[in-house]
Amino acid sequence: MSGISLSRRQMLAALAAAGFSPALYRSAALAQGGKVLKVRSYADIQNLDPAFRKGAPEDDVMRNIFVGLADMTPGDTWKWRLDAASKLEQTDATHIDFTLMDGLVWSDGHGPVTADDVKFSFERMADPKLDSPYKGDWEVLDHVEVKDDKSGTIVLKAPFPPLWNVGLVFGSGKIVSRKAVEAMGGRFDTKPPAQSGRYLLKEWQPKQRVVLARNPDWKGEAPYFDEIHVIPIEDAKTAELGLEAGDIDYTWVEASSIPRFKKTPPKGGKLAVKPSLAYVWLGMNVEAAPFDKLEVRQAVQKAIDVPSVLEAAYFGAAEPATGIIAPGLIGHREKTLYSFNLDAARELLKKAGLDSGFECTLSILNTTEFTSAAQAVQANLAEIGITVTIQQYDSGTFWSLGDQKSGDSWKKVQLIINRFSMQPDPSFATDWFTPEQIGVWNWERWNSPEFGELNKKAKIELDTQKRNEMYVRMQDLMDESGAYVFLTHGAVGVCTSDKIEPALMPNGNPIFHGFKATA
Amino acid sequence: MLLYALKRLGLALIITAVALILLISMIQLIPGDPAAVLLGPLASPEMREMFRQQMGLDQPALVQIARFFGRVLTGDLGTDVLTNRSVLVTVMEQVPFTLALIFASITWSALIGIPLGCFAALYRGSLADRIVGILSVSSIALPSFVIAIYGLLLFSVKLGWFPTIGAGDRGDPIDQLYHLVLPSLAVGLGWVGYLARMVRASMLEVLSENHVRMARAFGLEERTITYRYALKIAIIPTVVLLGMGVGNMISSAVFAEIVFARPGVGKLIFDAISTRNYPVVMGAVMITTGFYVLCTLIADLIAAGLDPRVRSTL
Repeated sequence: MSGISLSRRQMLAALAAAGFSPALYRSAALAQGGKVLKVRSYADIQNLDPAFRKGAPEDDVMRNIFVGLADMTPGDTWKWRLDAASKLEQTDATHIDFTLMDGLVWSDGHGPVTADDVKFSFERMADPKLDSPYKGDWEVLDHVEVKDDKSGTIVLKAPFPPLWNVGLVFGSGKIVSRKAVEAMGGRFDTKPPAQSGRYLLKEWQPKQRVVLARNPDWKGEAPYFDEIHVIPIEDAKTAELGLEAGDIDYTWVEASSIPRFKKTPPKGGKLAVKPSLAYVWLGMNVEAAPFDKLEVRQAVQKAIDVPSVLEAAYFGAAEPATGIIAPGLIGHREKTLYSFNLDAARELLKKAGLDSGFECTLSILNTTEFTSAAQAVQANLAEIGITVTIQQYDSGTFWSLGDQKSGDSWKKVQLIINRFSMQPDPSFATDWFTPEQIGVWNWERWNSPEFGELNKKAKIELDTQKRNEMYVRMQDLMDESGAYVFLTHGAVGVCTSDKIEPALMPNGNPIFHGFKATA
Repeated sequence: MLLYALKRLGLALIITAVALILLISMIQLIPGDPAAVLLGPLASPEMREMFRQQMGLDQPALVQIARFFGRVLTGDLGTDVLTNRSVLVTVMEQVPFTLALIFASITWSALIGIPLGCFAALYRGSLADRIVGILSVSSIALPSFVIAIYGLLLFSVKLGWFPTIGAGDRGDPIDQLYHLVLPSLAVGLGWVGYLARMVRASMLEVLSENHVRMARAFGLEERTITYRYALKIAIIPTVVLLGMGVGNMISSAVFAEIVFARPGVGKLIFDAISTRNYPVVMGAVMITTGFYVLCTLIADLIAAGLDPRVRSTL
């Protein structure tokens, strides 16, 4: 096989010469030319209204077609930078002044981007009548004062540090046109009525691609690529092959592929491994016997050899977690309060009167990683006499398991391996484990009023040191409950064509308008 | 023939209705709250309730069935609750990609499989017949996804001849055909074997019948006997098989659409089930069931046209 060296272009030329069609070669040549960036998204877009976006596929597109006052900086540390604002300054605990940069205009003849658009966008997001799922990002917004066409003040009801890490810099901080959105009846779906970003949504071919074209009216630094094609590819392995075949320029890869690509980089590409912010843990339902006994939960904590679980699930590509807050963020801990100790685990089971062991279930999502992790947990717990039956669920079923309003399945949950995604603010991690979240997302049903109080206070604490101590204490409380075994934050493997210089956030999330060709 | 066609059409409508009733009944039994899955962790209870109402899931199953059929009669398949687009539009955007894949697969497999079957029958017992037999069974035994993945690795990654993903540029039929090569190879290869074996068996049966012997006795050319008389009869079971096959290929297309990241109705249904987007599931299944029933109906009508005895079987 190595003797055959026809490229795709040559192959097409050969086919064309054989009489298929001269257009064949021409069309392929065109497809391969031009400054077009082809990137993978894990799913198709569903809603491009910042207030009703569904996830990363929309975020990645919105970052290019809308502007916010600020955006995240590519690099290895979490920092924000000015986006549509030429000035953005916190004047006191509850006031943030902003001034928009010159020359920002809306597409489709909707005029200049104004401070009133900023007011409309942020107040709309917080409006209970709109009922945006992201209203929490702006929960402390009182109002936005408009000073003139280009400047104003964001007025908060209380100090709110997460605004700088989440609300202002991600999807909830994107500015939409008051005039255009109101003309659409107050909200829109996949057809933005007015855009103002570095790119414009040129075309959406459902399930096939989103085409973004350079915005001719963009007055800031021009992006490198003329067009960005966002291609939905659900299967990560297909995307990896697509990158190696030169059909796409960017994808992230499965954890299982990271060691392989570290050893041998993908053909025509390169690998970057970034620490994920997400957190994966083994949870125990504190209301389901025998996990209602603290000793049993603590025995499980001590019986899990986390590195062996990670070796099975992530092939050594992921580091053990010390809590739910990833390294680099406020509140990250250096270590857990518990450690692997089989003898101590057996002793705890004996104390609970279960020294002869017991049977239980472990619920997981039906992915390769979770299945491997579950098998390793199963083997670990067998060492202390606990017989685990693994129950796999598809995503639709899994994500309703602990939801009290979705049926009675929450009563049957005993052990569960779960993964939550995360934004670069610790409040995003802790919000789900409060007493109010029992039966919603707190599937362990752990009830700690102290945790709940600390969560409220930490959100509005401006002193970074104090805030850090609060989040550390909250994770200590989780350890002490025995209901959690923290596994990992995972690792994100990002593969790009070696002709591309990507712009990535510290966790590997892409900022496509910052991608350039390799010098 | 007209009566047969009308009876067959009535049966087709009943099959479609039963399939959809079964689907709606299954939806009631599937665990997982669709509103929770669709809207994610941040949605308020009010919004979840509104979604349940939009999908009609707050109503009893019988009401849901009646409403769905009522809408279908007016040509309305409902609204995709995620994008607020018409389900009919959403599904029909995907249908051409799946049809192109199915017809490309079935066409090339028929073009190779049928002549191979004839050839094997004519040279029964020869080395060539044995080779065709081994190749046919091998192609049937090879799982389609294995062909797909190795096809990608060899022809796309290693040799760089064919694209790995997508369906080609819109408005560029040559590019679209080019993107069909590997997926249709994966979906159609097994069918080459099926068709070759089916045609060979039918041909052998027909070639041993009295009217063929009589044709030989009259001194007709072997070529004329084979292609004009024997194949016309031997092809009947193959036509029926092809009709069923086209319908079954909708299922095969799902994996090809996932592995090759092609748009298509199979992947649309797969995604919609995963996200519990029931209006899209029901609309898409309605269209694919109708298509399947239509294919088998056409196959049956062709078979009835070729062989009048079939008309008395319904």
